Amino acid sequence: MAERDLQGAVVRFAGLLRRHGLPVTLGEVTDAARALGHLDLSDRHEVFLGLRAVLVSRVEEIPTFERCFNAFWRAAPADDPVMRGLVAPRDDRGPEPAPVETPAVAGQRREGVALETWRADEDGDAAGEPLGVPSVSDRDALTTQDFSTFTAEQLDEIARLTIQIARRLARRASRRRRPAKRRGLVDLRRTFRANLTRGEIIDLRRRRRKQKKVRLVLLCDVSGSMDLYSRFLLQFLYALQNVFGRVETFTFATRLTRVTEHLRGRPYRQVLRRLVDVRDWSGGTRIGASLAEFNRQWGYLLDRRTIVIVLSDGWDTGDVDVLATELLQIRRRAARLIWLNPLLGNPSYEPLTRGMAAALPFLDWFAAAHNLESLRALAGALRL
Amino acid sequence: MRKEIRRIQELMEAADYVTDAPVATSVHLATILRKPLLIEGHAGVGKTEVAKVMARMLGATLIRLQCYEGLDAAMALYEWNYQKQLLHIKLEEGSGTPTEQREAAIFSEPFLLKRPLLQAITQETSPVLLVDEIDRSDEEFEAFLLEIFSEWQITIPEIGTIKAAHPPHVILTSNRNRELSDALRRRCLYLWVDYPSFDKEVRIVERKVPGVNARLAREIARFMESLRAVRLSKVPGVAETLDWARALTALHADHLDAELVAETLGCVLKDADDVKRFRAEVASAGIGKFIPVEG
Repeated sequence: MAERDLQGAVVRFAGLLRRHGLPVTLGEVTDAARALGHLDLSDRHEVFLGLRAVLVSRVEEIPTFERCFNAFWRAAPADDPVMRGLVAPRDDRGPEPAPVETPAVAGQRREGVALETWRADEDGDAAGEPLGVPSVSDRDALTTQDFSTFTAEQLDEIARLTIQIARRLARRASRRRRPAKRRGLVDLRRTFRANLTRGEIIDLRRRRRKQKKVRLVLLCDVSGSMDLYSRFLLQFLYALQNVFGRVETFTFATRLTRVTEHLRGRPYRQVLRRLVDVRDWSGGTRIGASLAEFNRQWGYLLDRRTIVIVLSDGWDTGDVDVLATELLQIRRRAARLIWLNPLLGNPSYEPLTRGMAAALPFLDWFAAAHNLESLRALAGALRL
Repeated sequence: MRKEIRRIQELMEAADYVTDAPVATSVHLATILRKPLLIEGHAGVGKTEVAKVMARMLGATLIRLQCYEGLDAAMALYEWNYQKQLLHIKLEEGSGTPTEQREAAIFSEPFLLKRPLLQAITQETSPVLLVDEIDRSDEEFEAFLLEIFSEWQITIPEIGTIKAAHPPHVILTSNRNRELSDALRRRCLYLWVDYPSFDKEVRIVERKVPGVNARLAREIARFMESLRAVRLSKVPGVAETLDWARALTALHADHLDAELVAETLGCVLKDADDVKRFRAEVASAGIGKFIPVEG
């Protein structure tokens, strides 16, 4: 294979990687082509390792890379004199590896389902709450009404209202300044500068570390009735996201799914649909196991600037001890642990489920998130 | 395999670093393509070691920038030695030296404190710059590093711009305590160092612990392999393996048994909950899961 062909193959390979979610940059493609000049092309494993070093940039990308590599760079027939080790397919697209079932892919196919479920919520609740649904224009009433009691038409309006409130909160937060206090390290450089003309050090200049933004990790229960509340919470927090340094989102029912990438930079309608798309339909909720999965794989996201929010009704069908251990882990590493339980909005509710009772000792803040008013209160708790 | 890569492997092995193809290939490409190499992996798998061995291999100086929370540009680049400057001004008082001359004197090289980054770009030959535990620094510092990496020049207002004649080889390590920016990741070559395989761990123990019993080395490696499969909050790394092997060798042990493990477990497990979890595992699955049972 001529060198030009090889370069073309690298470009096509990069395209394949991009289609499978690896954000390969142009610079990396150039480097990959250069790297091939310094690798033994008859040694397939070496080419694999070399390209991996250049084109992969986090450990999570490695399995995808491996699949794509194996599909794209076939082993060459032994009699090929130039390229004994490997050969790239000549057709433009290259054979696609077995489709990876990412939520994004699943989302495109299941849009119809998402709309149906939205309506299903309405049907279920319409039976229970036939009366007293206020008109959309009656905003004060809307802010205290439980999300689950709205009709499908109202939900759209409420969604817009949620975002409005969030935006207002975000603006307020960004204008607020903390008064400078007479604390912090002496800044020698500035002190010296400020006192140059005096010959003696009189005025001490100090420096303080810049206030850093709070990061959020959301763990949303999307099983059964929780799904609706999760959608509102997400919508609210995503509208607020400029206030935060970073928002990482996971959903769980029986297993944990990271949805951050699928939510990034999309209009809220799509966000809502995606959330439904990633729901696993196997039934039951294993909060403890899902949190364990989070700690094991994503524990590095937690630090002293991170607030963890769990949204769930606390119905855990798994082992309650696991739930307690994992919450303790989170509690130790994160700045704050918040649990939102929409059922708490019901005056007669008491957190008596075994899961909820096990969780309570570890929480910094336990609140409902069942209506707009409570979401507003939540925003106040999201500061360190 | 390219002979350069084989040579790197040999050099690393000669420098007492037990290596494999992924490490050697990454180091080879990092030196050839002149790109920073980002090494991620769990604590204690020998990430920092790569930089040390690379420096020894290239015959280059190793300059280390240890990151921590609050590390800022001044502490990484340069600072003026204010105390010395003040003293100099005091001493010069009344000497009649013109002001300009005095000022030029205090803003000259003898008053400059070179921090690792400035050191790295003012070397006669390309050094190896180790930016250790980059995940501990702040995001602002990460952005600042990116800027340095793209230009390899530093401007000091009082002296002028210093450009590296010999840009350093850069190795960054991260324990994934914090997520690094995509910009930084995409700028670097990437190497994930996992816990070693059984065979590799045996080789590491044999290489690093002189006088270790061959059977003991294998049993330790097997024990660690099984232990890492247990859900622990602080999974022991190679550093722990070596500590343990050294301790056991000092005790003249030639194989593992339940009692010995119980006595020396502190070398391996450093969290009370993990010790509890290990005991529970032994109680339910039996010690045979970790060490070969006699007979």
